[in-house]
Amino acid sequence: MAEAVAAVTPADVAPFAADGNALRVPEGTDLVEWYFEQGWTDGLPVVPPTGERIAACIKALGGEPELLECRVPPRYGGLTREVLAINMVMAGCKPEYAPVVRAATLALTSPAFNLNGVQATTHMAAPLLVVNGPVARAIGMNGGVNAFGSGNRANATIGRAIRLVLLNVGGGTPGDLDKSTLGHPGKYTYCVAENEADSPLAPYHVEKGFTADDSTVFVIAAEPPHSVTNHVADDPEGILDSICSAMSTIAHNNAVSSGHCAVVLGPEHARTIAGKGWTRHDIRSYLHLNSGNLFRKLAFEHRYGKVYNRNLPRWYKRDLDARIPIVPSPDHIHLFVIGGTAGRFSAFIPGWGHMSSPVLRGIEGGGPSGPVCVDGTCYL
Amino acid sequence: MSHQTVFDPRGRVDAVRRPLARRAATLAGLRLGVLDNTKWNANRLLRKTAALLEAEHGIAAVSYYRKQSFSKPADPALIAEIAGANDIVLTAIGD
Repeated sequence: MAEAVAAVTPADVAPFAADGNALRVPEGTDLVEWYFEQGWTDGLPVVPPTGERIAACIKALGGEPELLECRVPPRYGGLTREVLAINMVMAGCKPEYAPVVRAATLALTSPAFNLNGVQATTHMAAPLLVVNGPVARAIGMNGGVNAFGSGNRANATIGRAIRLVLLNVGGGTPGDLDKSTLGHPGKYTYCVAENEADSPLAPYHVEKGFTADDSTVFVIAAEPPHSVTNHVADDPEGILDSICSAMSTIAHNNAVSSGHCAVVLGPEHARTIAGKGWTRHDIRSYLHLNSGNLFRKLAFEHRYGKVYNRNLPRWYKRDLDARIPIVPSPDHIHLFVIGGTAGRFSAFIPGWGHMSSPVLRGIEGGGPSGPVCVDGTCYL
Repeated sequence: MSHQTVFDPRGRVDAVRRPLARRAATLAGLRLGVLDNTKWNANRLLRKTAALLEAEHGIAAVSYYRKQSFSKPADPALIAEIAGANDIVLTAIGD
């Protein structure tokens, strides 16, 4: 089920089937300014789409420009392949990014993700995309040095295309249907690959039952990454205790609303941990067991009135000295190895809460097909 | 005048307009359904408001319902149940 990302040359481009999405403006109009005036940007200049570029993206999406891929809440605009292609071009995508962008839009509009809530919430969550498998290498994505930062076209423009779809098709305009109090920088683009080449662990998607030759996109509604520094520990426990420290505050949304989170191990930390024989399951279990808050902290000792907190699972004890986990189980911690090979840093990425479930989707649409147990991660 | 082509990136919205229910002329004798969205303070806000309506406006009966999640639409079966058993509905965010 390896992906097939064919290079699209101008000779391949079929005649452009423009429909009601095509408009005319006087020759000489400054198109960058024109798109700003329509409100069809993320605040940065867009690439003014041409029929030829749109047609190339439609072809890479599989043709059929009128095919409705999904509707994007809260506006519920229809995302046809043509509309997706228009937004891809505006974001600066190459046509060969199309399978990743398309799979991401389908993952985001899966009911489990609750995109309607993610778009509209006052919380700062933004969809984070993590790409695994050969497609990430084929299109030159960055899972290495400065992966969450700037400088890589595929990371930047795939994430930006998703944001433009959320804005233009989904209507997630700040202050209108996007009510986020603060937002976060990932609302421009928030897209990385896992650093499979430098990881001592099985890739994330293999842990979840895909084969290493499959390509996948993972989406989670997430806060920004919180850096975890540890230049001291030479064992798994010490490094993971630092991550547990980042997890164990009452400030982020997981602490008060449960749900899923992501943990990113930098390659140096990952090698130290894996060098002691620890598997993904060991790591996630340690993090789950050794992070959390006492209920008295979450309840503020009841000094503002008796607190129960309906957003936490009802099977948690509400005794003041009960330990409240950050997420309900080790399976709610999504573990990735990302980053450059120098530097003893990792990151904790809180999620939005129980209101949204992450979605892992095969780029070519398939589901898990790999071995049942890999790397000791499947409860051997 | 010559032209250049631009492209609308928004996609079409296919929506059906539905009329709002007619406003009740009086609350006396009506059955009130309360839909709690499960937000932090919704319970407190809604129960106090329902009690006031009952005490001061002659509401005949109050039924209390809870959404599965405050950030997701109510289950259609729950909405049908509320519509079938009540004359008016009270809901609020209560963040």
